[in-house]
Amino acid sequence: MARYAMVTDLRKCVACQACTVACSAEWEVPAGHGRTHVRTTPLAGAFPNLMSSPHVGQCNQCDRPPCVEPCPSGATYQDAGGIVRVDGDLCIGCGFCVDACPYEARYINPRTKKVDKCDFCRPRIERGEEPACVATCTAGAKYFGDLEDRDSEVSRLVFREGARRMETRTVAVGPNVFYLGRAEHLDLVLSSFPPRPPRLLTAGEAWTKLLRPLVLVMVGATFAGQAVAFFTQLRKGEGDFEE
Amino acid sequence: MKEEITRRRFLGTAATLGAGAAAVPAAASPPVHPPGWTGTARVEKIATTCEMCFWRCGILASVSGGKVVRVEGNPDHPQSQGRLCARGNAGTGLLYDPDRLKTPLLRTGERGEGRFKPVGWDEALDFLAGRLVKLREEHGPESLAFFPHGNGARFFATLMRAYGTPNSAEPSFAQCRGPREVGYSLTFGQGLGSPEPVDLEEARLVVLIGSHLGENVFTSQITAFATGLARGAKLIAVDPRFSTAASKADWWLPIRPGTDIALLLAWMNVLIVEGLHDKEYINTYAAGFDRLADHVREFTPEWAEAITEIPAGKIRETARAMGKAKPAVAVHPGRHVTWYGDDTQRARAMAILTALLGSWGRKGGLFLPTPIARGSFDLPDFPESKRGRADGAGTRFPLAVEELGVTNGLIDATLSGDPYPIKAWIVYGQNMLESIPQPARTVEAIGKLDLMVVVDVLPVDQIRYADLVLPEATYLERYDPPTIVESAKRPFIAVRSPACEPLFESKPGWWIAKELAKRLKLEAFFPWETPEQHLGTILAPTGFGVRELVSRGAVAFPGKPYLEDRPPGERSFDTASGKIELYSEALAKIGADPLPRYTPPVEPPRGFLRLIYGRAPVHSFARTQNNEALSALMPENEVWLHVSVARDWGVTGGQRIVLENAEGVKSSPVRVKVTEGIRTDCAYLVHGFGQRSRALRRAFGRGASDNSLMSRVSVDPLTGGTGMRVNFVRAAKA
Repeated sequence: MARYAMVTDLRKCVACQACTVACSAEWEVPAGHGRTHVRTTPLAGAFPNLMSSPHVGQCNQCDRPPCVEPCPSGATYQDAGGIVRVDGDLCIGCGFCVDACPYEARYINPRTKKVDKCDFCRPRIERGEEPACVATCTAGAKYFGDLEDRDSEVSRLVFREGARRMETRTVAVGPNVFYLGRAEHLDLVLSSFPPRPPRLLTAGEAWTKLLRPLVLVMVGATFAGQAVAFFTQLRKGEGDFEE
Repeated sequence: MKEEITRRRFLGTAATLGAGAAAVPAAASPPVHPPGWTGTARVEKIATTCEMCFWRCGILASVSGGKVVRVEGNPDHPQSQGRLCARGNAGTGLLYDPDRLKTPLLRTGERGEGRFKPVGWDEALDFLAGRLVKLREEHGPESLAFFPHGNGARFFATLMRAYGTPNSAEPSFAQCRGPREVGYSLTFGQGLGSPEPVDLEEARLVVLIGSHLGENVFTSQITAFATGLARGAKLIAVDPRFSTAASKADWWLPIRPGTDIALLLAWMNVLIVEGLHDKEYINTYAAGFDRLADHVREFTPEWAEAITEIPAGKIRETARAMGKAKPAVAVHPGRHVTWYGDDTQRARAMAILTALLGSWGRKGGLFLPTPIARGSFDLPDFPESKRGRADGAGTRFPLAVEELGVTNGLIDATLSGDPYPIKAWIVYGQNMLESIPQPARTVEAIGKLDLMVVVDVLPVDQIRYADLVLPEATYLERYDPPTIVESAKRPFIAVRSPACEPLFESKPGWWIAKELAKRLKLEAFFPWETPEQHLGTILAPTGFGVRELVSRGAVAFPGKPYLEDRPPGERSFDTASGKIELYSEALAKIGADPLPRYTPPVEPPRGFLRLIYGRAPVHSFARTQNNEALSALMPENEVWLHVSVARDWGVTGGQRIVLENAEGVKSSPVRVKVTEGIRTDCAYLVHGFGQRSRALRRAFGRGASDNSLMSRVSVDPLTGGTGMRVNFVRAAKA
């Protein structure tokens, strides 16, 4: 069984956005959205003793993905390789998973009205290619592979070089995107872009976002059913009359 | 990535030229479906060359049903090796930009109004040829000036020479790397060329002087830079701004702008006084060391500290780091180097530093080009110009390289009529109101012309002043002369093949130039019928055929990048002495400083900041701001102000302000970025924004144009390069 992972070496990354654009081109992500996000931390310190670091964010394909459970339709699931996937046929675009994701890695595609996110370019890796962001990275800062394979480059970077997960004490869901960098840079990244505690569904939200539409659908369906029955009956009646 | 790259698109198009519709055989490679595209039609991958900037990476264009659905890096390309930057990945955004020029346009309104009528190619070319014939009769062929950019311009360049004008000048010289080429050539006997051969991946220490690699993205250079850093190379970043590179640096030296030569002289002082230079290398290869040593004796780190505001201790520490890492020290020569008007001398100082470290021709320093044989065409003699060049290259600017020319020299001549009147311009592939400073002068010069022609893909700013606009096909739709790169560790030849038919009525540059040549009775200078024949002639001596190059996209040759790869007899330098000239006899001869000297820059008036500018990784010059994907990532620029400056000016981050230069010229409104990451004496803008062409619907008016604020230039007397960091800005009163 594979456990796919990605490592980004922030010492090499120059925040050039090649990954962002390659990813968007590969997956027809509408302009203004992204499966990949490149950011630079705010500056720490004062002139001239300054520090900052780039950061590349994407779906972390977490070991315990907090996006799966809130999905009311079962569209979001984790596959055997650990990749968290969205079944577009099932997705109703409710956005619960978007709120649940600690890494802001999901968005609702305005064209399809479905949730979209990074899946490590699964179709490409099935063809034996690298994910688009890894293949295009100008700095050669991104590595992809299988952590179950102890000879893989990502295994070496994670288990020997100490590539780090972006986790905090409150949000530790086993992300499988790892980062290499100077310790103070990684600390700065983590404090600048901390994973967000998964938002729990409040009673109010549960009503407005899920139950109300559901109730409306049910009420609508009831009315529709009544109407169908009525007209069916009516037509039958008419038929009877004509006969 | 092992799909067969078919060549039929290229050959098909080539055949079309000769015989109308071509019968294209079905290729036999298995179908490939790019992800994200879910149709069932066959997808071809065409290996070609990017043109989203001038670095020319190798790309694969996936084509389905005649449409380019994706552009990716070509893993077989010897330089870019499958990697591709944001702009390259956004290539289809240019191809399918709805704002593209679609048909030839003939002016109907007044110049500057931007009113045109669409015309057919025959009418457009007949008009142009007629005017050019008349121009030659009335004013002589030299009265035509050509402003090219990029390798697509080369067919026009041939046409210009055949027509009889020597007046061709591109901004890549006097607004970019000209002084660098001259400064290194004076020292080592050869310039650097493009891409510049900096051995970043093997360096133990990288020195960036104003170069902001990372924000300035050329894919293979970034790959090498990042590889070097990951292997443990140290980094010195000299920049008034905390750049991306500075954030990775072991030493960030926020230098007072315009004082780089003082820092370079102090570094030389430490290296020589402490005996840290590469003595054996200097003894073997260099001339003029004693004079250099005498010259730099007084330029101590303490002297430089007072000028540069870099502590003397830091200057010593960084010089010693260089001495320790030599010869694997990559002193990056920079690229856009036209800053203060003493730029050739600064380039000389950088070249001398490189020599002292023994880094020229050494692993981890600057590597050497390896020539590639190429075929040439049997052409008639080009007409000799009796009146010579009008741009001052070789005369007023004695060291300007004539093949590249001095754009501002041509503009000067157009305005003054001296040495003779310039009556017509052809501008190819550039937004000249953004690429050449003092745009108001450029517009004034256009007013003196009888004929202004623009050849481009997009409706760039100067279109509104044109009499005739010719829509060129994009790089994804055309053949261009092959890219021949000798300044690579493995030199290579790469081809640009059309991935699809030209959209709208656009035409490839080669076709436009050749059709025009026919009308001017100059066909003899274009002795080929198809791109395939053109390419075949150039490839003839290489041992590679057209089909092989077209299917692979690029072919590489073995290189000899280091001095040690060459026998001692070939380790000579093309200077008068045959050695590296630390002391330049050539400069002494023309009365210039034979050893670089620091000259203080013009200081900002009270209340003003020096305007500095640079690049962003998602944009190229002023060429990509209309691209949907790139505009979404960076729709506008921001003006960087130090926290204390923002406080003094009473502005806050995110607020829009209008910048005003010392001459009272105002920018369009631009957002403020308040940061600790810039000195208090300068303001920074990313170049290329604030465009004025309404026809570029995404780019129009977004952000501020640095170029529009460049009312002043400090012209380098040696090369004609326009020093552009001599403009000062403040917030305009509301």
